Amino acid sequence: MNKLIAMVRKELIDAARDKRSVMAGLYYAIGTPLIMCGMFMVLINQLTSPEDLNITINKAENAPDLVRYLSRKGINQADLAASPDADVKAITLTITEDYAANMAKAKPAEVIILADNSDEKLQNSIRRLQQELQTYSSEMGSLRLIARGINPQVMQSLKVDMQDQSTPDSKGGMILGIAIFTMIYSVFISAMNLAIDTSAGERERNSLALMLSHPISTRQLVLGKVIAVTLFALLGLVLILLISKIAYTFVPWQELGFSINISTDFMQLMFVIGIPVALLASTLQLFVSFMAKSFKEAQSYLTMVLFVPIALSMAASYNIAPDVLQWIPVSGQQQALMDFIKGKDIPMLQLAVSSTMTVVISIGLMLGMEKMLKSEKVVFGL
Amino acid sequence: MISVTNLSKKIGDVQALNKLSFSAQDGHITGLLGPNGAGKTTCLRTLFGLLTPDEGYAEVDGINVAEKPIQAKQQLGLFPDPFGLYERLTPREYITYFAELSGMSRKEAKAATENVIEQLNLGDISNRRCKGFSQGQRMKTALAQAIVHQPTNIILDEPTRGLDVMSTRLLRDILIDLKSRGHCVLFSSHVMQEVAALCDHVIVMANGSVVATGSPDELCQQTGESSLEEAFIKLIGTDEGIAA
Amino acid sequence: MINRKFVSKSLASRLRHYALPPSATGTSRLAAVIISALFTSTSYASDAGQPQPLDTAEVKTHSCHLDGMSEQLQCGKISVPENPQQPDGKHIDIHFAILPAIKDTHPSEALLAIAGGPGQSAIEHAAGFDRLLNKVRQQRDILLIDQRGTGLSNILNCEDSEATSMLSFNDEGVDIIADTEKCLTQTDADITQYGSQTALTDFEAVRTYLGYQKLHLYGVSYGTRMAQLYMRHYPEALSTVTLDGVVPMQQSVVAIGSAIERGFELLMRDCASNAACHEQYPDLLNDFKTVDARLTKQPIKQSVRDPLTNEPSTLLMTRGKFNGAIRMGLYTPAIRALLPHAIHQAAKEDYQPILGIYALSADGIGLAMGMHASVVCGEDIHRISDQMRKDAKESYISSTMMEGLEKTCEIWKVPPVADSFSEPISSDLPTLLLSGELDPATPPNWGALAAKNLTNAKHLISPFATHGVAAQTCANDLIADLVDSASIKKIDASCLEKDIRRSFYLNANSVEPVIATDANIPASADEATSTDNATGTDKE
Repeated sequence: MNKLIAMVRKELIDAARDKRSVMAGLYYAIGTPLIMCGMFMVLINQLTSPEDLNITINKAENAPDLVRYLSRKGINQADLAASPDADVKAITLTITEDYAANMAKAKPAEVIILADNSDEKLQNSIRRLQQELQTYSSEMGSLRLIARGINPQVMQSLKVDMQDQSTPDSKGGMILGIAIFTMIYSVFISAMNLAIDTSAGERERNSLALMLSHPISTRQLVLGKVIAVTLFALLGLVLILLISKIAYTFVPWQELGFSINISTDFMQLMFVIGIPVALLASTLQLFVSFMAKSFKEAQSYLTMVLFVPIALSMAASYNIAPDVLQWIPVSGQQQALMDFIKGKDIPMLQLAVSSTMTVVISIGLMLGMEKMLKSEKVVFGL
Repeated sequence: MISVTNLSKKIGDVQALNKLSFSAQDGHITGLLGPNGAGKTTCLRTLFGLLTPDEGYAEVDGINVAEKPIQAKQQLGLFPDPFGLYERLTPREYITYFAELSGMSRKEAKAATENVIEQLNLGDISNRRCKGFSQGQRMKTALAQAIVHQPTNIILDEPTRGLDVMSTRLLRDILIDLKSRGHCVLFSSHVMQEVAALCDHVIVMANGSVVATGSPDELCQQTGESSLEEAFIKLIGTDEGIAA
Repeated sequence: MINRKFVSKSLASRLRHYALPPSATGTSRLAAVIISALFTSTSYASDAGQPQPLDTAEVKTHSCHLDGMSEQLQCGKISVPENPQQPDGKHIDIHFAILPAIKDTHPSEALLAIAGGPGQSAIEHAAGFDRLLNKVRQQRDILLIDQRGTGLSNILNCEDSEATSMLSFNDEGVDIIADTEKCLTQTDADITQYGSQTALTDFEAVRTYLGYQKLHLYGVSYGTRMAQLYMRHYPEALSTVTLDGVVPMQQSVVAIGSAIERGFELLMRDCASNAACHEQYPDLLNDFKTVDARLTKQPIKQSVRDPLTNEPSTLLMTRGKFNGAIRMGLYTPAIRALLPHAIHQAAKEDYQPILGIYALSADGIGLAMGMHASVVCGEDIHRISDQMRKDAKESYISSTMMEGLEKTCEIWKVPPVADSFSEPISSDLPTLLLSGELDPATPPNWGALAAKNLTNAKHLISPFATHGVAAQTCANDLIADLVDSASIKKIDASCLEKDIRRSFYLNANSVEPVIATDANIPASADEATSTDNATGTDKE
């Protein structure tokens, strides 16, 4: 036990002083939420229609009432003379010359919207303009009916009531899925460099044989390394949770009609569920690194091997994932976390099965490493 | 005391050890001399249980290494080649760590570390990280690691390789000191002078077997040569891999 | 009485609201009621918006859906004694609904939106409040409470027993006393317990039940009276207050008659000062007087198609219905724009446009008439002064309304509130008062009256809004600013100046004049004159 503690302590001190491990693992944990939030902020900003939407209106004098109506709804005739820096969207609304004449005869009065509908930045603004024109049109239609002594209600033959069962949290499900994915990914990434450094790296620096020359069992050695790497992985998880909790509050999610809130409950659950995942991350990466002959080789192996848990996690973050993923390590935990954050019941059985499988695989990998380290080939990299 | 009996080990196609038997006594400095590729390192690794012999066995203070590796290793200190330092740890942390791995409690380990730092005059560098140390500083750190837990047996693998004169001298003094305190010191080398100057007992190896044993003088007598160098060349049949 | 929907009324949204199932019969008479009597018949408040409670005993709220909103909301109720003096007596349920904040950055705060009437259900208007207070809701819950006697909270209502055709019934022949008596026998509620002050204790109970430390208030129309009472009795529970379409405490709502007259005169003025309207209807006031005189002499009977069902029907056009339709039209800018055409056509003996407008409100305006009477008979009727009586004689609408109310309250006996009730509110809470220049119910000078003893208040007058400023202008953004900063200092009212007038209908189809030759004559040149002296800041 004493030896185990000494080993873990040494690994952690060593890792903490290793700028490469710290940077790779922790920069990811710190950087990802920040970058994601920054990206979303820019994206939300660009995709939402500005409160004051400035467009070009041609022949505005042909329909003053319509123009005033639009301006009440925040859609303004751009006035470049008054404010030359105003952000004018590339949308042109042209009111035809015979607008008033057609209107007076109760014929459809024509207005033309000129805009590029494939421009994502404009789509919301175009839709908004179309909606407001539609509302104006139906309001005027209603008034025409009233003027003829008819209740405009006759036009509304159906009253469709949508009773949406989603919750504010589930509306953000996709983004939360990505957020949880980054957290699980962070567990793996945080563990990666230390896992390589403490296995392939240790061998490359000749200290592995030295350690094994001391009165410790290979099991102790494996446990020591697994614990140290797992702790590091969890540190990455804690960091990304804390940073996410803070960073996500700065994104104006409400513009999208929902909120993303990393609650304390979620953080606790994520941490608990993250423990077996971190164990898997550390054993898997240590195992692969021990198999590799050198540091470099370990890095390239890991890049390939990591694809599997990452793909599982990513697949589970989409609703289209097949149900079997609920039972599999990593994706099972991811799904449970997503259900929790969406306010659904956590599928306890699936979570238990996937977590147990995670632990079982980890133990298998540890036994494998124990056996490997008894082989001279592995110890001396022959 | 260290003894190996009838050790055989094949690595790949090479018969690295071939029915190797010898022993090293407490209170003596025993040199394991042989050309490159004679099987010295393989022999030492077998002593630490890192390699499993195909045949024969190794004993440390009468404990069979293969059967009770932990107890056997408890009695061993290793000065490895290469040193295997942790560049990011200070000598103090490094020495304490291995003292703990050798079974000391943290408190004992720290006390023992202080002693060995004093003994080896490591005070000035004991709190610097090992990265950037000179070869002499590295050697001293590695040596401190080997002896911090006061093992009865100390094994050194090519200890003088790459050392300057001053460091070599220092190492020699330390080994003599250890011997005088009754430790069993076993070191491998391919440098004759060093062996001649230090060893009470020399084991000459070639191709995985012992070709001769005895004190340097005895070896000269056995071969009928006046200088050790000639004696060695005669014993191993070639001068390849031996440094003067 | 101020019974008008306050919620943002683009017509489309109104229609959605009218789609609430009206009671099968009798609701038609309500339009007449508005003018001639307080109530004779009502629509039974719909239960379309009724949340379906789940059986969660411990949880304070349960998720629910409300009419016109697709998302899940939170609903709940508390049980309170009907008579607070008898805590062990009969209990009634006060229902509330929460529109949860999108991003709940201030969980200890909520905005309580108080509906008008008296007699409107706040929960029924959830969708309207949601649109109106969208910005506030980004960060704070919106709390809606059905005031006792309205909506889901033990509604006090009266049902007609016999079917009446809204088109042919004679509103001038309604026996108010008999109808009121009949209604009184239908209810087992203690009608004296449905006044504003008792209801206020319910509001406060809901607040403490839900654990909000501070409320922001938004009261509209009659809701401003509730908000002012809140300021008087529980100022420590409030953070900011917005009064929209203000009924000052000093004012009896019965005095609304002169406001209606004023609203009508402004309509005449606006049309006369608008080139296109004036050209089309050069003698609008005379047109009105012609019809009014014609109908005073004798109601007109016509064969028409039912506005909704298209059944051949008989329309009895009375003076009351004519004036009532115009009055209702004055509340909503889009319909107000149709009034000149409707009046003009009526002068030409074409009553179709008036019929269309009348039919809009004939479905009922969603007031709980019993609760309405309990409030007015306890708080307003005894405050009718001689001057008011004298003024009312000048106006058909005022006089019929006052007469109807007095008859109602003879039967609907509620003890009058103490005189202190009518004292102006003194407060230093950040308060925003909103008045619409064109308001046919609560004119700007009422807002000024309410602001008298408010030391931290701003009174804004929108030159173009009618009743319910926030729903018609950018004032809802100003409310969000007020709620966010908890201060009136940062409120920039310049956006209220934006010309958002609706042009008058020049015929049954169009608002845009067909200009034969030169299109450059700005149609709004003359209009500008009408907007002078418009926005004002009475008090800071």
